[in-house]
Amino acid sequence: MLEVDGLRKRYGDTVALDGVSLTVRAGEMFGFVGANGAGKTTTMRIVMGVLSADAGEVRWRGGKAGFETRRRFGYMPEERGLYAKMRVAEQIEYFGKLGGMSAEAAQGSAGALIERLGLAERRGDDVDSLSLGNQQRVQLAVALIHEPEVLILDEPFSGLDPIAVDALAGVLTERTAAGVPVVFSSHQLDLVERLCDSVGIIKAGRMVAGGTVAELRARESRKRLRIVVTGAEPGWADRLPGEIVAKTDRPPDGQGHGSERYEEVILTPADDQEALRLAAQAGRVQHFGWQEPSLAEIFREVVA
Amino acid sequence: MNAMALVARREISVRGRTKGYRYGLLVTAVLVAVLAALPKLLGGASDYTVGLAGPQADRLQAVLAAQAAHGTDLSIKVKRYADEAAARKAVAGGDVEAAVVDNATVISKTVVDQGLSVVLDTVHRMVATEENLTSAGLDPAKVGQAQQVRPMTEVTLNGSGEDATVRSGIAMIIVIILFMLLIQVCTWVAMGVVEEKSSRIVEILLTVVRPWQLLAGKTIGIGVLGLSQLVVIAGVGLAAAQITGAVPRLPDGTYGLVAGVVVWFLLGYAFYAAMFAAIASLVSRQEELSGVLTPATMLMMAAYLVGFVAVQSPDGTLTHVLSIVPPFSAMVMPVRSAVIEVPLWETALAMGLMVVAATAVLLIGGRIYQRAVLRTGARVRWREALASAS
Repeated sequence: MLEVDGLRKRYGDTVALDGVSLTVRAGEMFGFVGANGAGKTTTMRIVMGVLSADAGEVRWRGGKAGFETRRRFGYMPEERGLYAKMRVAEQIEYFGKLGGMSAEAAQGSAGALIERLGLAERRGDDVDSLSLGNQQRVQLAVALIHEPEVLILDEPFSGLDPIAVDALAGVLTERTAAGVPVVFSSHQLDLVERLCDSVGIIKAGRMVAGGTVAELRARESRKRLRIVVTGAEPGWADRLPGEIVAKTDRPPDGQGHGSERYEEVILTPADDQEALRLAAQAGRVQHFGWQEPSLAEIFREVVA
Repeated sequence: MNAMALVARREISVRGRTKGYRYGLLVTAVLVAVLAALPKLLGGASDYTVGLAGPQADRLQAVLAAQAAHGTDLSIKVKRYADEAAARKAVAGGDVEAAVVDNATVISKTVVDQGLSVVLDTVHRMVATEENLTSAGLDPAKVGQAQQVRPMTEVTLNGSGEDATVRSGIAMIIVIILFMLLIQVCTWVAMGVVEEKSSRIVEILLTVVRPWQLLAGKTIGIGVLGLSQLVVIAGVGLAAAQITGAVPRLPDGTYGLVAGVVVWFLLGYAFYAAMFAAIASLVSRQEELSGVLTPATMLMMAAYLVGFVAVQSPDGTLTHVLSIVPPFSAMVMPVRSAVIEVPLWETALAMGLMVVAATAVLLIGGRIYQRAVLRTGARVRWREALASAS
């Protein structure tokens, strides 16, 4: 279990982290979400020991993480960095050996990663002759080569094409299946929603929400009802108890409802049972249920 | 494998593989070989052919042969011509370097080489004097005897004259090579530090390698490349000088001197490389590098100039003192040792002090590097780097 406990960091008068805590269990994929400048990168750099915290600590398997512990972590920093004039395979192997692998093990592991990430044709080329997307794959291979016990990846998906995104997602899922906790930050919330077992939302140096995507939903989604009624008189919805968030009389494409009038209402209800009764009185209820917000909607609400 | 050794090996294999390094080494080797052989190549025309014409030709030829056999390393052949016109034609056609007509005129295309000119002049005087004395009624045999003079014996106080020239030549070469090589490899170290900092790869490296391992590995790797250059230069230079005969005999202790230069190179490198690395870790971009390095390069330049002075006055007060004071000693002491015999205790003291200075710079530089290398963006101030280093 990776535990981040009460991290604090200031730069002069600016408070970057104000007591950040989070926990990632073995085999769990943790999505780290927050606006730019909220403290994601600072947190990850402190976890990797690249930056020192003013207070708080990072624990791995119950023990305080020091240099030797962190050597077994894999890291992809926000600012990508590779030796421009070094060959792809050679570079990946070099980091494997620095991470404590034997030359043969590093060679084998690098070969497998190169194959897996679709870099086989470029293995003998200098890194600076590669496209940015391919350089990013090399960067990822550098983070993965020494079979790390923990993966900390800062924006690993940014700038990748959909095929590379799938390849990367596959590799990360494989690692979690092997019991490795994976932490990654991203602004692509649909990806986070799809891949992550749990999510942490950070705002201005504080964790403002956390848990599984389902838990976050459960907490937030109590608030909104989606009601679809056909054959109702216009204006019926005005009598609903609560606040109407959105209303439309245009059915979604491809959904015919005959000649009957269509009306869809998104409501923050004051009394959900009363709303149901009124809807049934007004017309035929086609849909009545709590709306599942997307992670993006939850994020906007939490961060706003 | 040890992280430091891995870092060093990467520097050697990646930098040693670049075209810049390989061609650089090749060009240096060729250049050194040519330079070492140059005196022989330029002064190579010590074989001359001289044309003679006129009634004194027989006598001139005999005296010329005797003179040429006497000590000088010139070899002179003779061709005979019927008259001045024939001799002129031979000179113009390049058959002979010079022609002497009637023991009164010397004809050449432009200027007669100095060595040959001295010989011809001597021969001219001897034959003319002989004639004058004979025509004054003296016995030609006695005149001939009187002309037999034993050459002076040379006594030099500071070793043989030839040795002294060779020694100061070697000293000059040492100071130039030390300076060029030190500034080159130290700049590589500085550029390497900035390369890692500007590409942010240092952030990944420092999660698996400790800062001192990274810095030490880089310095050792580049040092090995620099040292191999020095060895190539010294080896090729000495070999070329001996094979071509440019330097007929190396002065005593030349090999000891070369070994000393290697030690001084290593000490100087440790000092300056640590300094360059610490300074380089303060900036984030290659463009900022030359600006911040200026004070360090100036220091090196100053030592270089003092080294030059030391070639001419190895025992002046300035050179004497600075040959012991670090970091000047790294460039001044090997020069002094090349020109004169330096007492052993002075060399030992200079090396001891330089070891202390280099260690101090390595420790302070290492700390500055450790604190500054992860701070990207604006240039890190000296005061901050030193303050946070404690």
